Amino acid sequence: MNVGIEALNVYCGLAQIPVPELFEGRGLDAERLGNLMMRNRSVGLPFEDPVTNAVNAARPIAAGEDRIEILITSTESGLDYSKSVASYVHEYLGLPRSCRVVEVKQACYAATAAVQLAAAYVASGVSPGAKALVIATDVALVDERAAYAEPAMGAGAAAVLISDRPRVLDLDLGAFGNHSYETMDSARPGPTFDIADSDRSLFAYLDCLTSCLAGYRSRVEDADFATTFDHLAMHTPFAGMVKAAHRKLMRESGGGTASIEEDFERRVLPSLAYPRRVGNLCSGSVYLALASLIDHAALDGPARVGLYSYGSGCSSEFFSGLVDEESASTLAGMRIGEHLDGRCELGFDEYAALLPDTLTCLVPERDRQVDVGAYEHLLSRARFDRDLLVNTGTKDYHRTYEWLAP
Amino acid sequence: MATREHVEGVVHKAIDEILPGVEIDGRAHLKDLGADSVDRVEIIMAVLDRLGVREPLSSFGGVPSVDALVDFLWERVR
Repeated sequence: MNVGIEALNVYCGLAQIPVPELFEGRGLDAERLGNLMMRNRSVGLPFEDPVTNAVNAARPIAAGEDRIEILITSTESGLDYSKSVASYVHEYLGLPRSCRVVEVKQACYAATAAVQLAAAYVASGVSPGAKALVIATDVALVDERAAYAEPAMGAGAAAVLISDRPRVLDLDLGAFGNHSYETMDSARPGPTFDIADSDRSLFAYLDCLTSCLAGYRSRVEDADFATTFDHLAMHTPFAGMVKAAHRKLMRESGGGTASIEEDFERRVLPSLAYPRRVGNLCSGSVYLALASLIDHAALDGPARVGLYSYGSGCSSEFFSGLVDEESASTLAGMRIGEHLDGRCELGFDEYAALLPDTLTCLVPERDRQVDVGAYEHLLSRARFDRDLLVNTGTKDYHRTYEWLAP
Repeated sequence: MATREHVEGVVHKAIDEILPGVEIDGRAHLKDLGADSVDRVEIIMAVLDRLGVREPLSSFGGVPSVDALVDFLWERVR
């Protein structure tokens, strides 16, 4: 049985700020733009939260589906210690009440754990024809305190539909390698801020990639980083980190350094086009990279993609699957590039003015009202052509939502 | 057997390749010399390569200065 991703979509908000604009506004050293390799970052608006991002990403692929038996949201932007983001998403996607609903957390890795568990469920045959919807959804909680991490953080969600009709990515079942251990490289101790140790996190990401590859090779005879995978899509905290990771793995696989740049441009760069325009999409990041790869690589036959997912704390996985022309034609229907083009471009002052509200979007408040109309000046500069879910506040801690027409 | 001076030379050369012309103060952290996170990875990987040392990158997370980096590596090669 073939199992994998039948449909994939991302939603990366309605606004973005060019990274050079943010560097200038914060007085950051422009020489660092080169290694960061980022162009824009998505910026959440005060009526966007993990629920709206998830629903807005998943709705185009969940519409009309009647075999979704599992809904899993993966997030490090939880709204409640008990009630899941998935419970709201289930409601606003109109999924059947016979559906399993659950939320998972392991920083930026959790969605991949959910995808693998869902794929194994589908492959097990316990419910023939069943599908699982996995949605990675997050918001950014960064301001000037995050220094160079601020321009790299994105916001939004990636939704993947797992089934036995893997039109987007046909998973290589059984081909994977994992590596996990406890470390405090980054965390979100409270609902308004993140903490991060950049070296610890970067080094853990790279060490885990090497170890995951070793694990993959122990399951797949003769697998080789340099030759087995036609393309690579990796968790992208910032594009320059993926470039560093590729360079490390190529050195370790014995490839000559002369060809590393050419190999990077051919096998990896297509996966970075969207991440460079969005920022770190947390646990949706590797699926944003996959979407980018499929939309930008010339696929003229089956191609094997190596995927790497890393989540601070930490847990990680390297796995693989096949994409082809059908992947490209299926994903093209989502018009992801058009969605990203349609985001409203913010100036630094507009961006800074939004932060007091966006940084508190996870804080529990008994009663709160969000006036979506107050942001008409930004909405009128964004292009979207379908109804989007927006958060209108809370009522007795219950989050309230409405549909916003184009 | 490698001397500390040899290790120091390898470290300083790698720093100079990534940060051309930088004045290397052994008491400074690589960050203070202007190395961003990608530069730091490149420097450490180059040094490990040239010294033939196998060590997880995570071992270097708490190394506070260039001199401490030299000492750490020297411990592993001597």
